Amino acid sequence: MKENKVKLAKYLKEHFPAIIEKDYNYNRIDFSINRELVPSVLRLLKEESGYIHLSHISCVDWLEEEEFELVFIIWSPVDKIKILIHTRIDRNNPVMDNIDKIWRQANTYEREIKEMYGIEFTGLEAADEFLLEDWNGMPPMRRDFDTAAYASNKYYNRPGREDAMDVREEIARHSGEEIPDFAKKYSR
Amino acid sequence: MSFFDLKGTLSPFSALKQFGRKPHTIQYPKEDKEAADRYRGFHYNEMEDCIGCGNCSTICQNAAIDMVKVEGQEASKGDSGLRPRVDNGRCCWCGLCVDVCPTGSLSLTKDYLYVSDDADSFLFTPGLDNPGGKDNVSFFSTKESSLNDFARIPMPELEGKERIKSFAEVVLGYNEAEARAEASRCISCGLCSEVCPEHMHIPEYINAIAGGNDQDALRIIYDNNPLPEMCGKVCTRRCEDVCAIQTRGEAIAIRWLKRYATETADNAELIREIVNPEIKEANGYKVGIVGAGPSGLTAAYYLALRGFDVSIYESNKQAGGMTMYGIPKYRFPEDSLQKQIDYITSIGVKIHFNTSVGKDISFEEVYKQNDAVFMGVGFLKPWTLGIEGEELKGSEQAVTFLHAANSGLQVDVGDKVAVIGGGNVAIDAARVSARMNAEVTILYRRRVEDMPADWEEIEGAEDEGINIVPQAIPIKFHSDETGRIKSVEYLKAKMVPDEGGGRPKPVPIEGSNTIVEVTAVLGAIGQQGDYSFLKGEFEEKIKTERGRFVVNEFQQTSDPKVFAGGDAVNRTADAISAIADGYRAVKGIEEMLMKKA
Repeated sequence: MKENKVKLAKYLKEHFPAIIEKDYNYNRIDFSINRELVPSVLRLLKEESGYIHLSHISCVDWLEEEEFELVFIIWSPVDKIKILIHTRIDRNNPVMDNIDKIWRQANTYEREIKEMYGIEFTGLEAADEFLLEDWNGMPPMRRDFDTAAYASNKYYNRPGREDAMDVREEIARHSGEEIPDFAKKYSR
Repeated sequence: MSFFDLKGTLSPFSALKQFGRKPHTIQYPKEDKEAADRYRGFHYNEMEDCIGCGNCSTICQNAAIDMVKVEGQEASKGDSGLRPRVDNGRCCWCGLCVDVCPTGSLSLTKDYLYVSDDADSFLFTPGLDNPGGKDNVSFFSTKESSLNDFARIPMPELEGKERIKSFAEVVLGYNEAEARAEASRCISCGLCSEVCPEHMHIPEYINAIAGGNDQDALRIIYDNNPLPEMCGKVCTRRCEDVCAIQTRGEAIAIRWLKRYATETADNAELIREIVNPEIKEANGYKVGIVGAGPSGLTAAYYLALRGFDVSIYESNKQAGGMTMYGIPKYRFPEDSLQKQIDYITSIGVKIHFNTSVGKDISFEEVYKQNDAVFMGVGFLKPWTLGIEGEELKGSEQAVTFLHAANSGLQVDVGDKVAVIGGGNVAIDAARVSARMNAEVTILYRRRVEDMPADWEEIEGAEDEGINIVPQAIPIKFHSDETGRIKSVEYLKAKMVPDEGGGRPKPVPIEGSNTIVEVTAVLGAIGQQGDYSFLKGEFEEKIKTERGRFVVNEFQQTSDPKVFAGGDAVNRTADAISAIADGYRAVKGIEEMLMKKA
C-alpha cells in the first residue's frame, strides 16, 4: 500500500510538477492542484492508473478566504487506494470545469453542488433540475446563508408554543436583576 | 402423454422445498429494523442533568426548540428551571442542539416513528414525554465531540518562589487576545447572574468583551458595581460555581474577565469618561455613611448619582475597609483600590478620614445631621482562642497583623510563625508572613478540604512553601523567660461524623500533645461586630440578633432612618455581598425619602 502510494505520488509529480501531496493513514492520499489541471489529473488517473471509480464530489465553503474548495474522491479497485483531489476556486466567480465527459455520473454531483453552493460547471446538462423548486435566493449550503431567517420567514409558528420563555429574562426576573437597556444588545 | 405422468404428479410438491427458506417479503406483524448507531431520531433529555441554560434553543436554526416551565422542575442555583420542548414539525434533525449542550443531557434516540392525525400535535418535551428514551440514545455529546470549549485560558501568574520575595501582585492578568478567547467560551445563559449577590449583568459584559467592546463592558459592569476592579481581583465568585460550562469543564473565568475590563481604564478620569454616569440634580437630602468599606462606598456612589448629598465617616486614614486593611497587597494592590475610590469621590462623595463614629463624632450627631444613615461597619473585633498564654508577647490577632502590614508599618514576626485558623484571613496572614521571610505553619482543627478559605488561596499558600497542619487543636502557648511566646502546644484530632448531619467534628486525641517552636502566633478564627458606638437610645432602637443587625429586604434596621449592610448584616461576609447590601440600601433610602416628599 505504502509503496503504491509513493509510486503514485512520483508518477503524478512527473506529469504535474505543481501538484502538492499530503499522505494520510491507511489507504488515503490527497493531492492539491490548480483548478485548470483537475480534469487532466482525473483523466490520467482513470485511464492510465486504474482509478476508474468516482466516489464523490464534495465542496467546502471557505467564507473568510473567499474561496470554495472542491474535492474529487476517486478509487481504484486494484490498488484499493482512495485519492482525494483538492482544488480551490474563487468564491466571487465560482466556475469549474465540467467532468461529465470523464464520468457520466459526475453530472448528479455537479448538479447538487450547483444548487447547494451556486458553483457553475461549464456546459452542465440539466443544470437547474435537482431538489429545490423555484429557488431564487442564495444557495442554501453557503455559510452566509441565514438558515434561521429563512426558516422564520418560510414556516408558520405552530399553535401551542406561546408559553415559550426567554432563559435570560426568566433568570433576571426571579432574582430581581434589572438589566439596563444599553446592555440588552449583548444579551443572548 | 403417457398414462402415468410422473413429472406432472411430483411438480406441485416441489414447492414444499421453499418451506425452510427465509422469506424476502415484509414481515407481518411488522418488525422495525434497528436504526444505525449514530441515528438522529427523537430527542431525549436527562431532566436531572439539564440545567435549563437554553443553548439548544438558541442554536436551533429552525426555531424548533422552546424553553418552557415543566412540572417537577424547580429553578434553583445553577438551574433556570426551564426545559427544552421540541416542535418536531420544524426539527430537521441536524443535531446541533446536542453538539452545543454544555451538560450533555440532551441527545437523539433511535426512535423516529410518530403517527397522529393532528398535524399540530408535534410538540414534545424530551425526557418528560419519552422517559424510556434513555435506553435508546444514539446521537449524544461527549466532551470531545461537543462544540463547547471546556478548557479555560490559563491565567499567567508569578512562580511560587518568585512571589515570596515581595508583595508584587501574583496574578498577572489576561492580555487582550486571552480575554477575547476566554470570553468567547461563554454561552450567555445568565445562570451566573442569579447566584451573584449583586446580580451583575455577567453575560452582557462578557459578550461585550468577546466582541471587542471593552468600554461597553465597563459601562455594564458599573451599572451596579462601583468597585469592580476589587471584585475582579478578590471576589469569592460564586458565579463560577454554577457556570454551565463548569458542568463538564472549567468555568468561564468570570472574575478574570471583569478584571480585564476594569484594567482597560487605568485611572479615575478615564473611568469617568468611559462610564459617563448620569448624575441627577441635588435633591436636598443628606445621607451619612458609617464606614468606607465596600458596602458604604457602594451606597455612597449610587446615592450620589441619584442626587443625594453623601458623607462617609471613616476611622482609618484610607478608604476600602477590609479590602484595604485586610486583603494583602499581593492580591489587591493599593493603586487598584485608590483608582476606584478616586472615581467615587470624583462624582461628589465626601469622605471624612480619621473620623471614628463614637469617638470623633457621636452616632447621634450623624443621625441628626442626615436624613438617613447607612452603617457599613464590618466585623472588626477578632474572636480570641481562650487558651492559656494567649496574652503573651508575640501572640497577636491576624487581622491586627494584616492591618499593620497593610498600613505599611514595621511588623516583626521573627522567623517562625504559626497561624491558627483555616479561613481566608488565616491564609492571608500566613502568606504575608512568608513574604517577611518567616517559616510558616498553619494549624487548623479540621481537614484541609474543610477549610473555608478559597481553594486557590490554599493552593497558593502551598506553592509558597507554607506548611499546613490539619486536625490540630492548640491548647497552650508557652513562653520563654522574657515573657515572649516560645512554642505552641497542640493536640492532634480525629474526625468524628456529626450525628446531626453536619460537618464531621474534630475530637482531640488524648496524649497526642505536640509542640511547635515559634517566634509569633497569629490567631485567625473569625471576627465579630463591635457596636459600642451605638449609645443610649440607639442601643435599644437598633436591634441585633446573634451579633448582626436585623434588617428588612431594603437593609432597613428597626430604626426606619437607619440602614445597614456588609459583614455586620449578612452571613456570607464577602465584598460582593457587602456591595449588594449597599446597592439594596440605596433603593430603600430613595424609596423612604422620595416617597415622603
